[in-house]
Amino acid sequence: MSNAPLRDRTAPLGDLARAQVVSELRRQRPKSALLRSSLWFFALATACAWASGFFEVSAAFDGRRIDNLQRFLTQEVVPHHLRGTDFGPLELGTWALELFTDKGWGALLATLCLALSAIALATFGALVAAPFAVRTLAVLDPFLFGERGSSRAGRFARTGLVAVARGLLVAARAVPEYVLAFFLLAMLGPGAWPAVLALALHNAGILGRLGAEVVENLEPGPARGLAQLGASRGQILLWFAYPQALGRVLLYVFYRFETCVREATVLGLLGILSLGYWIQDARSRLYYDEMLFHVALGALLVLGADLVSALVRRAVRRA
Amino acid sequence: MLAALAAAAAVSAFALGLSPGQLLPAPGGVELLRAFAARAFTPALAWESDLVPPDAGPLLVSVAAAALRTVLFALGGMSLALALAVPLGLLSSASFWSQRQSGPLAAVALGAARAVIAGLRSVHELLWAVVFLAAFGLTPLSAVVALALPYGGTLAKIFAEMLDEAPRDAGEALRALGAAPSQVLALGIAPRALADMGAYTFYRFECALRSSAVLGFFGFETLGYGLRQAFYNLAYGELWTHLWALVLLVVAIERWSGALRRRFVA
Repeated sequence: MSNAPLRDRTAPLGDLARAQVVSELRRQRPKSALLRSSLWFFALATACAWASGFFEVSAAFDGRRIDNLQRFLTQEVVPHHLRGTDFGPLELGTWALELFTDKGWGALLATLCLALSAIALATFGALVAAPFAVRTLAVLDPFLFGERGSSRAGRFARTGLVAVARGLLVAARAVPEYVLAFFLLAMLGPGAWPAVLALALHNAGILGRLGAEVVENLEPGPARGLAQLGASRGQILLWFAYPQALGRVLLYVFYRFETCVREATVLGLLGILSLGYWIQDARSRLYYDEMLFHVALGALLVLGADLVSALVRRAVRRA
Repeated sequence: MLAALAAAAAVSAFALGLSPGQLLPAPGGVELLRAFAARAFTPALAWESDLVPPDAGPLLVSVAAAALRTVLFALGGMSLALALAVPLGLLSSASFWSQRQSGPLAAVALGAARAVIAGLRSVHELLWAVVFLAAFGLTPLSAVVALALPYGGTLAKIFAEMLDEAPRDAGEALRALGAAPSQVLALGIAPRALADMGAYTFYRFECALRSSAVLGFFGFETLGYGLRQAFYNLAYGELWTHLWALVLLVVAIERWSGALRRRFVA
């Protein structure tokens, strides 16, 4: 390093003066009782969780479990009709190809289609719901003078509207997709809709809320200009909020698409035709070789979606 | 972009045979929906089903215990995930390696760390759980590890991105003063990313709570277990008690993390 002289500049500061500066800086550092107590709480709770023996760590390593694991790894993962035979990559390949053409390929496509339909529906839902959850838009004079001149009842109604919209968005996202799909399946009967609707509802909740925050964080100047020219709330939405927020919201949409593919795979466990269906099917027949094959296929699909989503997001950021 | 998405969605909706007509509830679906919705704001406060074993304690105690177990699984999973994510995130961040000499070894290690992260993330936590159930059987540790693997991968990926995108000013100043590479990283760069990393960890904890609840569908006794049981017993009041407990838990954590985030990020 050639910048040794720079280091010497600190030399004139005596030990005492230095200690003073350090203690002064230390005194000024940001402190928060909330952060401190939260950290302590989580550290203690985690320590208690592990110490309580609830996870039965030692029981997981007793003889029976180890036997289970050994049987699983040495026998059950080996393709069924190849067990006990001396097979090579050729036989293994034939087995995989047969499974892929029989079940895997169709389920792979179905999973992808579920995710695509769901994310499009979720985006649409978010576009409709988000404006109601934007605090700056749901006032009498959007972006201008706030609530000047509005009656108390009107103000109350609009604050209430935003609160209700936000509450619905939070509720939609607080219930896991899997639970939503479980209920919808019972109500709508078998088919693709329960999965699509469950994914769409949950993600509309997330995207709607994120979208509302994006609009709230926009530079309000142009919106003020439009409002002063007499633009209505709808016009401001159409000409300011949507176009300005679109880029960021698209980033979120493609990030959620990746999640949708992951979740669509899993929803099959409930009996909806995606990769999860064959995973559950193989599991219930104790065909663990087949089960692992479909899990691996799902992993490949997610890796692909991950890649596509990353590429698209990079393109959106550049544009 | 939006048009392309819409077109792809239209093609897939067609391929799935989705039609609005199928949105009409199945036979019995309407009655089910009505019975279900009727109890939304009157959740059960005591057991309603005859199928509950007589030695089960009061409903509210059982729901509270299930909520506690949901939190415990989430805590166990997240703590393991963090232990996994910190070293993996460091190894897969460009700023960790750029502080050192960038030889072929660094490139290999970086690539390997990223591959491990992608592999962990690509399998959903419920699928990890299914695999572990097959390999180990129903032990609480299976659920914890199933949560920890994909969450660890995701945390590591985001940590690495946050480290690489953190402002460089403090790190550069330290380097100019002659700080060692490890000091630049630990004292210059990492502190600038710490608030974001903390906020993200909190958000993932919220997700872990939801996942932990869903693990109940696979036999682990979290909120999802009672929820499914109540559904099969046609005890919709009990079902809503479990559902409200889950929603309250998630919203409380969200509020908490929101309060912290407003103070430190932004």
